[in-house]
Amino acid sequence: MKPLRWWAICWFAGVLALVTVGAAGLVAAQQAAEYKVGVVTSLSGELAFGGNVTKRGYDLWAETLNKAGGVLIGGKRYKVRLIYADDQSTPATAAVAGERLITQEKVDVILGPYASGTTLALAPITEKYRVPHITGSAESPLIWKGKFKYTFGTIPTVTIIAQASIQTLAQDVSPKPQTIAILGIDDAFSKFAAEAFRTAAQRFGIKVLRFDIVPEGSDYTPAVSAAKALNPDIFAMGSHEKAAIEMIKAAKELKFNPKAFVQHYGMTTPDFRKGLGKDAEYVFGTSVWTPNLNYQAKILFKTPREYAAAFKARFGSDPDYTEAASTAAGIAFQEALRAINAAPPLTQAQKDALIGALERLDLMTFYGPIKFATSGDYYHDNAGLQPIALQYQGGVTVEVGPGKLRLKAPRYPTPPWDKR
Amino acid sequence: MELFLQTLIDGALIGGLIIVVGVGFSLCFGVMHIVDFAVGEWVMLGAYTAYWLVRYLGQDPMIYLPLIFALFFAAGWLIYPLIYRAVSGRRHHPALMGLVFTFGLSTLAKGGALSAWGYHVRSVSTWLSGQSVSLGVTTLPALRLAGFVFGVLTTVLFMIFLYGTRLGVSIRATAQDRETAALLGVDVRRVGALVYATYAGLTGMTGVLIGALFSIHAAMGAKYVIFAFFVVVLAGMGYVPGVIVAGLLLGLIQSFVGVYISGRYTLFALFLLMYVSLLVAPRGILRRGL
Repeated sequence: MKPLRWWAICWFAGVLALVTVGAAGLVAAQQAAEYKVGVVTSLSGELAFGGNVTKRGYDLWAETLNKAGGVLIGGKRYKVRLIYADDQSTPATAAVAGERLITQEKVDVILGPYASGTTLALAPITEKYRVPHITGSAESPLIWKGKFKYTFGTIPTVTIIAQASIQTLAQDVSPKPQTIAILGIDDAFSKFAAEAFRTAAQRFGIKVLRFDIVPEGSDYTPAVSAAKALNPDIFAMGSHEKAAIEMIKAAKELKFNPKAFVQHYGMTTPDFRKGLGKDAEYVFGTSVWTPNLNYQAKILFKTPREYAAAFKARFGSDPDYTEAASTAAGIAFQEALRAINAAPPLTQAQKDALIGALERLDLMTFYGPIKFATSGDYYHDNAGLQPIALQYQGGVTVEVGPGKLRLKAPRYPTPPWDKR
Repeated sequence: MELFLQTLIDGALIGGLIIVVGVGFSLCFGVMHIVDFAVGEWVMLGAYTAYWLVRYLGQDPMIYLPLIFALFFAAGWLIYPLIYRAVSGRRHHPALMGLVFTFGLSTLAKGGALSAWGYHVRSVSTWLSGQSVSLGVTTLPALRLAGFVFGVLTTVLFMIFLYGTRLGVSIRATAQDRETAALLGVDVRRVGALVYATYAGLTGMTGVLIGALFSIHAAMGAKYVIFAFFVVVLAGMGYVPGVIVAGLLLGLIQSFVGVYISGRYTLFALFLLMYVSLLVAPRGILRRGL
């Protein structure tokens, strides 16, 4: 029996060695063949809905690119693989998740979170490890004022975007609204949205009657009652989608009926419309992208309409600008990688070169032009896009301004609750 | 004056919602000495149950309230033996074990809801949604008023039950001294199960109201743990009637600070109140708690 046992051991060892070498080879081949793109975003917690908004945008980019073969570098195509890490909607976890992606998963680049607070926590981490990071969603001006060398963003800061709806109301409706009450949620994005409303109102000569910031998850009835007592023409709110829904519910309950409701962000999401039904009608909001824009591009999606159709086919709902901007963030990476001809995995020198390539990027995409600012208050933000004012009309958001961006006339003033 | 009255009403109605969540929580703490971290998740699950019932069976969510109470009562009854095992004294720190166990329940429910029902923010509306009653110069939102009435009524019924029935006496006896009650023939385990099941049923029902007023998603319960905890500390740990006073006080503070000072100071005011209350009256503002 002894020789047989030896044979068995040799055979087993041989197979084991083959499997190990084969697996290692496979892993190595896989690693060599694709870019590892880390994604830190909110997949659970308060902002899980928003996190999935970015996820849909990033996923559509990776899927479409991989279907086309991948990024063409030196005659060879390399696919991308998204590696997700959940920030649980809290900044501290975003930092930990980013660090894990960089040190353990050894990702080449990072696509950033949904919310500004989490992005602000992730940016110092990507800075420390010198990993290029593009957010397809965050809008707080604090990110760009931080002048992080490794962080970029495809959406203009909220201080630019949020002005569009106020400008439209100030210039394109009659009689011109005279007064405004503003509410913001206490987070890195929402309070700057509120600030932007205030700046815009002051710029266009609308008197600010009340400006208040409330903690996340508050009951909005006191804020609504306080605003109602002042009877403003406009009530504007800076928040994420959930608070936007809850605020409209509170306003209806208390019969608060200003001539215009302005919400940013949230009114462009499907949950806003589904949750509120006809109460969503007449609400104003802002965006930097809609499927109706006339951009002509060559990379992945040729027009906004083509993107919207692909998105609807994949996810069953219409894309909003955050989803488009998240896809565009992927496109920015892909084009910068092509520009420096860097095959995966990226070396540190290539990662640094990628920053230069991103700074030099001047692209036309389905989402519009991408050109990151290289100095000033919008450092590394794609600040050049034109903000658009939207309004819910007949169950869909339509472009109502400002000026010639209007596709339909804004409906103003908003009728009483029972007549919508 | 108009704003003052409206602020008063807003505050009382916010208080009503806090009372609804707080009353079961307080009883649960009083009898079993368990701080149930999953209180918010009972609210969340109640809201989701209403959402799915309405989605598949139609009708107004309010008519499912008794069914939801029965479902959650059953769930509470089934879960109780597990909690009992966790806190039954054979372990080193029974209170801590209870805390850890319910924290686990809460995490499980949150994660489970997110996996099962996804990330969308859902809404349900009832025939009272968006309706309101005008009272002089003020506006009373109908659904919130219903919540307030529901909260106060439940608390009063609870008190009648606790002070007027034999079972109520045994519940209070168990709350006061578990071992002596057991010695005198009270089936403490059954009393515990009954209390926990009632608490789960009540809190599940509250979920319908809260879901209709706000929005439904997996993480919606988180803030109710804080409120329930605030109420119980302020009311006096385990003192059920105190919940009404404490809930109203918390609601009024939120409302008045929000309107007359600034919304950003509401949490500060609440924490300050809790701190001062623990410092000056650790047994609650009515000095009747444990």
